[in-house]
Amino acid sequence: MQRRELLVGMAATLVAPAIVRAQGAEELRIGAPLPLTGPLAPEGQKQKRGYDLWVKEVEKSGGFQIGDRRVPVRIIFSDYQSATPRAVQACDQLVTQQRVHALFSPFGSGAAKASSAIAERYRVPMIAPTASSREVYDQGFKYLFGTFTPNETLTEPLGDMVLAKAPTIKRVAIFSRNDLLPLALSAEMKKSAAKRNLELVFDEKFAIGSLDFASALTQMRGANPEWVFVGGYVNDLVQVRTQMRDLGLKPQVLTMIAGPAYEEFTQALHAAAENISSAAWWHPAVRYEGVDIFGRTESFVQKFQAMYSAVPDYIEASAAAAGAILQLAARKAGSLEGPALRDALASLDVMTFYGPISFGPTGQVERLLPPVFQIQGGKPVVLAPSSIAQGELRLGIA
Amino acid sequence: MTVQITQVILNGVLLGGLYAAMAAGFSLVWGVLNIINIMQGSAVVLGSYAAYFAWRYTGLNPLLAIAVAGPLLFGVGWVLQRFLIQRVVAAPVLITLVFTFGLDLVLNNAMISFFSADYRKIEGVFPTAPLTFGALTLPVDRLLAAVVGIGAAFALHLYLHKSRLGRAIVAVRMDRQTAELMGVRVELIYAMTFGLGLAMAGIAGCLLAAIFPTSPLNSAHYLHIAFVACVLGGLGSVLGAVAGGLLLGIVESLGSLFVGAEYGTTVAAVILLLMLFTRPQGLMGRAGYE
Repeated sequence: MQRRELLVGMAATLVAPAIVRAQGAEELRIGAPLPLTGPLAPEGQKQKRGYDLWVKEVEKSGGFQIGDRRVPVRIIFSDYQSATPRAVQACDQLVTQQRVHALFSPFGSGAAKASSAIAERYRVPMIAPTASSREVYDQGFKYLFGTFTPNETLTEPLGDMVLAKAPTIKRVAIFSRNDLLPLALSAEMKKSAAKRNLELVFDEKFAIGSLDFASALTQMRGANPEWVFVGGYVNDLVQVRTQMRDLGLKPQVLTMIAGPAYEEFTQALHAAAENISSAAWWHPAVRYEGVDIFGRTESFVQKFQAMYSAVPDYIEASAAAAGAILQLAARKAGSLEGPALRDALASLDVMTFYGPISFGPTGQVERLLPPVFQIQGGKPVVLAPSSIAQGELRLGIA
Repeated sequence: MTVQITQVILNGVLLGGLYAAMAAGFSLVWGVLNIINIMQGSAVVLGSYAAYFAWRYTGLNPLLAIAVAGPLLFGVGWVLQRFLIQRVVAAPVLITLVFTFGLDLVLNNAMISFFSADYRKIEGVFPTAPLTFGALTLPVDRLLAAVVGIGAAFALHLYLHKSRLGRAIVAVRMDRQTAELMGVRVELIYAMTFGLGLAMAGIAGCLLAAIFPTSPLNSAHYLHIAFVACVLGGLGSVLGAVAGGLLLGIVESLGSLFVGAEYGTTVAAVILLLMLFTRPQGLMGRAGYE
């Protein structure tokens, strides 16, 4: 009896991969390692919402088109618990065990960089919807593509705009969460400030998970900055802004990235959010006429609102765009084979609901213009690029 | 510079008031049951959620939500101790530590499942304009929370020293066997103590919810604060926990000013190490107390 069970088990082990491969002809499988639990859970959930919306739209349209045939699409999620080494393991398992045709990268630049080597090794295209640092794309990899432009594309337009509006501004304070993206943004902000001969009067980092910023802000108040730049995530930024108000710190310009892009930021701060400027890779106010499954930007926003009763932010849009871009590439390639998909992605030059998509030699999107915006009257108002501007920069905060 | 330092010390005192409330219950449980309650941080977060939902659905002020969260967490603590922790209470400290670590995992992940990891914030309850004294400012919400936090810790201290049941708790802490011989029901006292420890966590949670956003992800940070404040102040002493909390708040604030914002916690950890080398019993603990 035991021998029979052993034989059955062995047979199942041998046959299972063949079944999986046989199933492979029936559907498109995409691996998506996400931080669904742990400190990055809010961001992981946002990414997942973008993917889920895209899959729903693909299903509604009758399936994923490859050349002239349609197949169902399935995203295989793997929770890496906000731990980058687990994200790399998850990518490996998704490729070797689940036999995915493509990967959506884990959240952020660090995890995307670490896991991109897996995609390269197995020649499986990876689209990174939330990685902006140049270091992710400077590895010489051919299978990695990213939907965020480099970080300086956020700080440079802000620098131009602030000095055009208030040329007397000279003193800048930078306060940043000690984390990959906020630090990278702060580094770019420092370069943008130096380029414009602005004096850096305060430059500090705060630890991840900090709740109290009163002492650092007291010190910042002593430095009397005219422009304050804060890099962090929504929770940090809400706390920093609240405590700035408590301490009477009122610079002429307050820029925060990336919290103001989220609806919960304005909901949490009410009047204190007024006149906070920011930039993100995408904003619901942008207007593009795409050839992708979502079509126009307004159409994407409406579908998102219908599904989640919330306004999408740049992470959710970028995740949905990753799916839409993969879909356009597969239609062009007519195949789900890694190298064919990769070549189609590399040569893509299309307009999407998210913006113009064409990837540079490193795989990072290059023609996208991240919008600069400011909270005015409780709503984000786009200030740049000029083609979609809805208002002008206002000075002063409450 | 004097104004800046004074402001930073004031910030530290207000922060320390919250730390004191977090540490008082932790210290009590450690002192009486000899249990390092790893679940304390998550219990604080649970108290914050009680305050958040009370505010969200009834508009209740988080400082008044103490009346809900305190008894609720007391009940949770009492039941946990009576039916689970009691089974391992006589085991070596490592066993109880691992046990409460396991309970913490369950509670924390349950909160992530039920409430999600998103941050929730109580808004519009306190005036946003701070009190000003010349160049110094005092945020109203922090001032009230710190006063209530220190007040709650003092109330616990008075309860332990003035009430019959409180004196029984102190007696068990000093000498369990003798207390038992004197007719004290030790199992009941243990459950009572663990309940009080978690009730203090619930109260601290309400105070924190009035100021900071709530998420299960905060629990490890809160546990760290309770642990450091408790060791700084001295094990088993509620007043020591208050002193430890205030000291920790001031040290973190000054460390942030003089060393850098990201090193405030590191400076506090260095002070903790120095304290362990020079005065291991803490500010108000007794030498040799285990």
